[in-house]
Amino acid sequence: MTADKEKRRAISREAARRRRRVESEVFEDLSRLLPLQQSVRDHLDKPSVIRLTLSYIRMHTLLTGKTGTKAEASHKVKCGQVTDGQMVRHEFNGGCGEEEEKEKYDADASEETNMYLRILEGFLMVLSTEGDMIYLSENVSKYMGLTQAELMGHNIFEFSHPCDHEELRNNLRVTAEEVWSGEKRDFVMRIKSALTHRGRSANLKSATWKVLHCQGRSKVCVAPSSVSCLLLTCQPLPLSHTLLSTQTFTSQHSMDMRFTYCDQRMTLLLGYSTEELLGRSIYDLCHTRDTNCLTKNHFNLCFKSQSVSGRYRMLVRGGGYVWVESHSAVIPNAHSSKSRPGANQPLCILCVTYVLRCVCGLWFKATFTVSTHFIELYLSK
Amino acid sequence: MSARNAAAGGGDRVGGEPAADVLVEDKQSGSVSLPSPMTPASAAGMSVTMEMPRKRKSSVDNQDTKSASMDMDIEDMDESHNGSDGEDQHVKMKCFREPHSQIEKRRRDKMNNLIDKLSAMIPTCNPMSRKMDKLTVLRMAVQHLKSLKGSSSSFSEANYKPSFLPNDELKHLILKAADGFLFVVGCDRGKIVFVSESVTKILNYSRAELIGQSLFDYIHPKDMGKVKEQLSASELFPRERLIDAKTGLQVQADLPVGAARLCTGARRSFFCRMKINKICVKVEEKEFQASTSKKKESQKYCTVHCTGYMRSWPTTQLGAEGEGEGEGEGEADKQDSSHFSCLVAVGRVHSHSSTQVNGEVRIKPTEFITRYAMDGKFTFVDQRATTILGYLPQELLGTSCYEYFHQDDLPHLADRHRKVLRSKEKIETNCYKFKTKSGSFVTLQSQWFSFVNPWTKEVEYLVSTNTVISCDNSRTCRLGNKAEQSSTSKSSEDGKKSLPVIPGISTTPGAMIYAGSIGTQIANELLDSNRMNSSPSSGSVSPFSLSQDKCPHNQIGNNVPYGEATDMEIAGKSSSEEDAQGATFSGAESLMGENPQMDLDSVVGPGLGSDEAAMAVIMSLLETDTNLGEAVDFEEMHWSL
Repeated sequence: MTADKEKRRAISREAARRRRRVESEVFEDLSRLLPLQQSVRDHLDKPSVIRLTLSYIRMHTLLTGKTGTKAEASHKVKCGQVTDGQMVRHEFNGGCGEEEEKEKYDADASEETNMYLRILEGFLMVLSTEGDMIYLSENVSKYMGLTQAELMGHNIFEFSHPCDHEELRNNLRVTAEEVWSGEKRDFVMRIKSALTHRGRSANLKSATWKVLHCQGRSKVCVAPSSVSCLLLTCQPLPLSHTLLSTQTFTSQHSMDMRFTYCDQRMTLLLGYSTEELLGRSIYDLCHTRDTNCLTKNHFNLCFKSQSVSGRYRMLVRGGGYVWVESHSAVIPNAHSSKSRPGANQPLCILCVTYVLRCVCGLWFKATFTVSTHFIELYLSK
Repeated sequence: MSARNAAAGGGDRVGGEPAADVLVEDKQSGSVSLPSPMTPASAAGMSVTMEMPRKRKSSVDNQDTKSASMDMDIEDMDESHNGSDGEDQHVKMKCFREPHSQIEKRRRDKMNNLIDKLSAMIPTCNPMSRKMDKLTVLRMAVQHLKSLKGSSSSFSEANYKPSFLPNDELKHLILKAADGFLFVVGCDRGKIVFVSESVTKILNYSRAELIGQSLFDYIHPKDMGKVKEQLSASELFPRERLIDAKTGLQVQADLPVGAARLCTGARRSFFCRMKINKICVKVEEKEFQASTSKKKESQKYCTVHCTGYMRSWPTTQLGAEGEGEGEGEGEADKQDSSHFSCLVAVGRVHSHSSTQVNGEVRIKPTEFITRYAMDGKFTFVDQRATTILGYLPQELLGTSCYEYFHQDDLPHLADRHRKVLRSKEKIETNCYKFKTKSGSFVTLQSQWFSFVNPWTKEVEYLVSTNTVISCDNSRTCRLGNKAEQSSTSKSSEDGKKSLPVIPGISTTPGAMIYAGSIGTQIANELLDSNRMNSSPSSGSVSPFSLSQDKCPHNQIGNNVPYGEATDMEIAGKSSSEEDAQGATFSGAESLMGENPQMDLDSVVGPGLGSDEAAMAVIMSLLETDTNLGEAVDFEEMHWSL
């Protein structure tokens, strides 16, 4: 009896081994077809192979499908220079076998693309409506510390901060009408970054949260299958060493958005003196209709530590307002003592505000004196 | 979350997902090395030994674990191979807590999930009704990929780097996502050296139109200075304003200005308005143009956020470098200076406002607070009022609230006004209509209370918390109003009668002033009542006595002194209002008479000499109309204690 059993077990083991071998071979075949470098390919495990295959197919579908958005359709008619057009050209060239020219063309494009990515200082992310990161540009490793092949195909929710999931989900939700108009998205989220301070990839366990500003739009293709996704460029928000123009000023605030410092440009641009502003809240200075925008900015700052405000209006001393946009970050207060490194450093908010347009909204001169009076009245309290 | 993940540090792991044991080809992490003999099976095991500086001794153990499980699909490792050693250690530990079969099951589920997804994406698999087995799906995937490769271009294993997307595809995607275009402009004259194709989508100009032109031709005149500054190499703006991200403070550049500005890599970021080309083409264009910011017949602009770098090349190299730089950059200007410097930037269209998606912060928009002086003039307006009323605070300050109340609501609001001046409690109004800046009315309901200065015991101002009532509620409010009016029907009718209906009451300035004076009247009543309360001896002079029992109707006869005062007050206004004033006054009086709530005992004023008081009243009346609503006059009145 036992011998029989033994034999049967042996047979089944053999069969299993054979199956696995076949399976491995198929996986090998599949991975060989993927556009990856040999070294990368060798270290893919099976689920990764499938993930990457999925990404490849999805991207292909997205790019070669019929155009989804109205804007795209009209643009195609107008100048005939769209994604699809490019693909067509490729096929044509490929058929003729002008390999060299094609390669050079591609090399040029590669150079250009790299330049774009460098200038944008971010990476490209294509997200499905469920949040799968269908595609990531290669430079994602610079920002997240993990390579394209490691990340592609995974779900963004596994890498983003749990508190941002709600917002992410809202942004991914693309309604039928929105999709057709190529709706824009603009939000800030935190993702894991496995980069150390010195820029080296570290353990994912010791990943820190990195704030990314994501902007983009939705894209859809209807044939062969309806696939919609979000195209986003994700950039970290640097504040450092940007040359500021005369139309930009910096300010520092306590965490409740009261001014603690502002530079002289503020006086030139908006007319308030520094003394007038210290201790006043930024909400006092802004047009009421933009309170939503500012509050959202403030929330982002509190939770995510960095934010881009979008356009809002700041009231000018003497009447009227200017359209501005602020890029802000929470930084440790410069004046905190360094002797207590472990202690909680008091934080403050640093804002770089760009003035977009000149003063507008001076409706009638009659209110000029009144508004000055109002400001003074207000400020004197 | 799995126990393994929990152990691995609270959910920052990819849940049970087998890792891609991909060795990081990163430029930065040079420390990751790649042992040469690698087979797929041992890859998992070997990657455990991938060196990161903080390596733990347990790697050896893990290796044993790995080799033991090599027959099965190994990938128990998580996303980052670097973390796997620590994790495997946890796995070992966790073997006691979680049966291995659970781990296996999870892995299998994940795999099956992926296979399902794959079969959904492969066209040949799709029509199949029955679920296909793993192997078949994989084989079909292979077929599919082969077919895709055949039709598209560039995945030959040739010289250049293969990538998931052809580079020009990627380029298009980036520009699409960024809603932008790349441009290169020379620094000295702003000549556009290169611009990407996507500019046509954004600005409606074709590439050919733009290349070679000066950038300044396409920028809003008011922004030219700004852009010049960003491009310029001159000493016009000597102070380098850079920010150190760590301290947030401005940093003076060490390098001399010219060099610092132009050194390759110096970053630029600015906003400017660029022209949009209007061409009368097909219908589709209209949609595009409608989305731009200004809606004027004249030149349209859109705000573009430009970020980029300065680059400079020595002109000697330009001939050779020209071709190597990729599309278009080679078209360099021959400069006299030794360097050709330019700005390479991406311009992104800036959307008008931050896109509002669900889940944003919601502020309660339906309430705002205002403060009135005793006579109903605004002395403070909450900023929230602007969203509701359309007026900025400074537009309302100093004006009387009665100017904005709908005429139907005037009687009852005047009544409330009186009440609140004499009561310590909060008084609720019914729903009433308030005129917004656009001329339409918004329904409000307010809660008023008077703030009494504890020292002088005088009403300093009235605080009103106003709530916006939505249309559904307004019905019930209306009924409330009607009920109120019917109960005080006589008085309200009197009131209405005594407010002569002037045609176009809400729009003529005459009517406005008239309405505004209601508040003044009411306030004056109070003043007088204070005065009277404090100096009963001058009862003969006062227009009304303040005893609760007395019916105030007799006091109409005493209008005269007050009428005089009133006349003085409205000196300079049209005489036709005098009657109206008087009538109002009597009407208001009658309203007051009906009102049993004259809690005059609560109104205690300091004593006053009668003559002085009369003088003071007259002076204050003169001042009331001209000041901007600060309650200065009342205090002045009482200073002669």
